[in-house]
Amino acid sequence: MANLKEIKRKIGSVKNTQKTTNAMKLVSSAKLKRTEELAKKSRVYAEKLTELLNEIAQKMQNANADGIDNVYFKDAENPKKVDIVFITADKGLCGGFNSQTIKRVNALLAEYQAKDVKVRLRAVGRKGIDFFKFNNVELSDEIVGLSAAPDFKSAAEFISGVAESYVNGDTDKIILVHNGYVNMITQELREDQVLPVDSSRLELNAVSTSELEVEPDDDDTLLDALVKRYIEYTMYYSLIDSLAAEHSARMQAMDAATKNAKEMVKELNVKYNKARQEAITTELIEIISGMESMK
Amino acid sequence: MELMKLEIVTPNGVIFDGEVKQVTLPGAEGEFGVLANHATLVSLLDTGVIVIDKADGSEVAVAVNSGYVKVEEEKTTCIVDGAVALSGEDSDLARALDAAKELLKSAESSNTAIASAVAKVEQIGKSF
Repeated sequence: MANLKEIKRKIGSVKNTQKTTNAMKLVSSAKLKRTEELAKKSRVYAEKLTELLNEIAQKMQNANADGIDNVYFKDAENPKKVDIVFITADKGLCGGFNSQTIKRVNALLAEYQAKDVKVRLRAVGRKGIDFFKFNNVELSDEIVGLSAAPDFKSAAEFISGVAESYVNGDTDKIILVHNGYVNMITQELREDQVLPVDSSRLELNAVSTSELEVEPDDDDTLLDALVKRYIEYTMYYSLIDSLAAEHSARMQAMDAATKNAKEMVKELNVKYNKARQEAITTELIEIISGMESMK
Repeated sequence: MELMKLEIVTPNGVIFDGEVKQVTLPGAEGEFGVLANHATLVSLLDTGVIVIDKADGSEVAVAVNSGYVKVEEEKTTCIVDGAVALSGEDSDLARALDAAKELLKSAESSNTAIASAVAKVEQIGKSF
């Protein structure tokens, strides 16, 4: 009899879990929609900014045959010191979202350390910080709260600090790792080289832009400011992208959890009915055998 | 009068997109006006106020903290960090003015640029 009660209690608890996971799924889908909107809005800015950067870089390349002579466009074939910035979520319950990023960071870490390159890790998001702290890996930067609510100003502040150490020569290369949003059901791990600016990624075409007048009349000043803005924006966009991916991952995870809970309730119901039948049969036998003995 | 296209984009979206007669921009080397068929130009923008003369003759002001402008013959594109448009109904305008002042004060540029921009915003607030 105790078994019956036990199963009933279990069914109740699983049903409650199901309610929670379902609610989380709904919340995530609403948040995903909002984040998607945000990404769409800021994409226009990205397009224009990249366009402008392309043009200025093109102009400078035209003026100087040996490529672009700027601190942000240095060659990074054999870096000695590398900074890895990675974005994880502040919260869990989103499937493999965080662990994928952490895995990639670990792989990069091993790869560079094998080449005797000094690596510094800069973590955004609590989950990543917790993981590396638990494993006693030193982090040179820890930021919590930014990945859950990205805003341009804080993102810019953070990445400018990183960029400064690049300009000072404390690091030769900055890599940004995050899990990006592809669509509702897919996330993709993205690894971007933030600095030096990868000139192969800029669409430098031979169209003459020599007529382009520049003010202030110093290409370097303009390019410096432009590159700064470009990386600030890259950081901001990665945060939004990561947030969208986080929500879609959580949606999936919670959907799966809700389904599993449903399945479990079904199984438990069968079990409960069987136990109930068993109990009734036992009772009947008891009654019948009691009556028999009375005869 | 000939018209040109003007677009003002920020990381949070497009603030302005439309046909204009003229636009006055706070360039890093001084304020300058742009009409249609202006020579191609790229300039840094300082903290200040963009004044737009719209096709229908009305005037719109947009406070910006910093950014770039790319002028082409047919089209002018402003890429700015933060912008607040000063237009609309009275109640909205009061809020917009406060938001604009806050934006300008938080900008990282010289005090004179900020002060002159704030003064300009206040003047616009009175003229409405």
